[in-house]
Amino acid sequence: MATAADGRLQGARSANTSSFSRARSSPSAVLPSPPNPGVKLGPNGATFVSSGIPDLDRILGGGFLLGSLVMVMEDADAPHHLLLLRNFMSQGVVHRQPVLFASPLRDPRAFLGTLPSPVSSSKEHRQRDTLVDHNQQDQEKGLRIAWQYKKYFGDQQSSQNHNRDVKQEFSNDFDLRKALERQHVQYIESMSIQDIPHLTILRDRCSNFLSGLPRSDGGNLSAGRIAIQSLCAPQCGYAEMDWDLVAFIRFLRSIIRSSNVVAVVTFPTSFLLPAFLKRWQHLADTLLSVRAIPDEDKDMAKLLTGYQDMLGLLHVHKVAQNNSQVPTVLEASTFSLKLQKRRSLVLERLNQAPVEASSGTSYSTSGTCSGPSKGSSLDF
Amino acid sequence: MAESISRSLRDGCLEGEHAPALTIEDSLACPLGSHVFDHFLANLASQIADGTSQARGLVLVALNRSPSFYIDLLRRKGVDASLVDKWVRILDCYSDPLDWKDRIPPLMNVQKPSTRENVSFFRDVRDINKLLSSVLDLGKGFVGQGKTRFAVAVDQVSNLLRHTSLPSVAGLLNNLRSNDQISCIFWLIHSDLHEPRVSTALAYVSTVVASVQPIMQLTDEHRSRRDFLWLEKNSCKAKFYVRLKRRNGRVKLLAEELHMDQVGVKFAAVTSENSFVNKSLLPKVQFNLQLSDQERVDRAKVVLPYEHQGNGEAIQIYDGRRSLSDDQKDPHLVQPSTFSVMTDAQATSGNGEIHYIRDSDDEQPDSDEDPDDDLNI
Repeated sequence: MATAADGRLQGARSANTSSFSRARSSPSAVLPSPPNPGVKLGPNGATFVSSGIPDLDRILGGGFLLGSLVMVMEDADAPHHLLLLRNFMSQGVVHRQPVLFASPLRDPRAFLGTLPSPVSSSKEHRQRDTLVDHNQQDQEKGLRIAWQYKKYFGDQQSSQNHNRDVKQEFSNDFDLRKALERQHVQYIESMSIQDIPHLTILRDRCSNFLSGLPRSDGGNLSAGRIAIQSLCAPQCGYAEMDWDLVAFIRFLRSIIRSSNVVAVVTFPTSFLLPAFLKRWQHLADTLLSVRAIPDEDKDMAKLLTGYQDMLGLLHVHKVAQNNSQVPTVLEASTFSLKLQKRRSLVLERLNQAPVEASSGTSYSTSGTCSGPSKGSSLDF
Repeated sequence: MAESISRSLRDGCLEGEHAPALTIEDSLACPLGSHVFDHFLANLASQIADGTSQARGLVLVALNRSPSFYIDLLRRKGVDASLVDKWVRILDCYSDPLDWKDRIPPLMNVQKPSTRENVSFFRDVRDINKLLSSVLDLGKGFVGQGKTRFAVAVDQVSNLLRHTSLPSVAGLLNNLRSNDQISCIFWLIHSDLHEPRVSTALAYVSTVVASVQPIMQLTDEHRSRRDFLWLEKNSCKAKFYVRLKRRNGRVKLLAEELHMDQVGVKFAAVTSENSFVNKSLLPKVQFNLQLSDQERVDRAKVVLPYEHQGNGEAIQIYDGRRSLSDDQKDPHLVQPSTFSVMTDAQATSGNGEIHYIRDSDDEQPDSDEDPDDDLNI
């Protein structure tokens, strides 16, 4: 039964099937206003916003936790962290959440011109939605037992109907080839951190941003996003002030923790001293890293499937767990970044390429019968 | 390869991109970096003189050697002197970088250094902003405003770092790189004169990192014995490692060998065993248990060795012996029909084949399909 009603919440922690669900979601309560599609409630009082990449939301168990600090370790060789930042900011714009963007570029607004626009919900999406609806109805007709539980699942159905009316999803696919329209991008506050001599300016800007956010009232949750690109880039004036940087991150973390903001900070790891790198990693609530892959590497091409399409690797080191003692155990922690249909970013698990069967011990024949077998017979 | 680096410097940058930046680094163990720098400088200058490069001029920030050295160098390498005067500007930060000459009372018979047209003095190396604007002014001076670009070479960044901090130098290089009028930029640094942070910071700012490594590693044994063989080897030969950041976000790693001779530096492919292997530690890699679409189609096409295929026909399976069908057929006749079945199967199933050998002659057809069939309850 749970799987039938779980159509929307595939993979993510389904909020309504745990026994400790909020009063808000019980069928007797009346929903005062349409819930904000940009914010999702999770177990243990957690609220999530989407990272802009549906796969990443699924991997992290719902999205970025509001009130957490997400740090992304950059690779000096590749600009993949910019992909994450772009999707993150575009998602904020789509959900009308205020965004603050700080970058060491002279002109940060130039970067805002590269934000991707969401893939428009085409006919295929709507068809998929109607199909799901039919399946559910059929299954409900077929199942006669447990009628008394229908009232709990009825709520999910109504919320799904509602969601379909609103036509906004929690997390969108973004088309990296199409830029977001200028009028939307204007809402993003941006600042350049290259020439600032010390971090108090950035610190003040962040506190102003937080105090300027609309407070969440009643059932309508609002969220804000802070995106800081390359915090300790070598060309920034404060780059060698190691202790000041640690103090700033601690400050950022503390003001965010009690607010409804998510901050994503990327930083180049190679420039930090090892002791400070450890401190930065420890201060992060969610820690991700992107890595470049060598080009035309034959060994790697033999080892992995889909090597040609891979942009880079994403590694999840830590996942935020602010309100619970239960750690998130990931099945796999390294994923490959790929572009699906050349436009939207997907994360895939790394898969080992099948080894030729003629070499004797081959692992791949566990999968299919029609593997690359040169006349080798299977004995029954 | 050095060729690819020269080509990327020559091609410069695309519209909307930052200029390619090359870092050449060497160390005391193998001090051939200056020669490599000279090599690229001469290459680029001749390409500018020929008109084959995107850059229309070159600004050289000379911190380590006097400007006359470079002019001689370019002349030796065959670049026409008049073209040098026209397309190369040298910012002389070597003669008097900290402006001491004005503070020292002048000596009696001091010769004023001959001023050349294309050499401008720069007296305040500590002021990075002034340096940046001087470089840009020099460049604009001879290519003018508009779309034309010029190249910049800095020799050496190590000298700059003596006077100013790393963030300001990194900021200068980054600003130069992102300037619309710069086609390409390259610099030299001695990596062992600074903290490791400096090398990583410069690698962060640049797109190509070329490092010159000694061909024979220095061990304690060498140090104690004052191994002249090692000295000799390392002073004329070296390994040249290049790390290229490509536009698609991937890294290309190359290795070559370097030889010093009378004329200059020569590059050659690696002769000895390529011990330079980049093993990126891959974490646990899963086996793909999902089927791709093609594989699914192939699987659907495989003919299974059941008596009944579910399409209403009973087929015979070649089991290596006389078949147990109702009709006693001649084996020769049987074979073609089963063979035709198999060829059909092969034609439709692609790569999949299943060969089924029956256990014994006593088995009834379909006896292995449902073992509970003979239960009579």
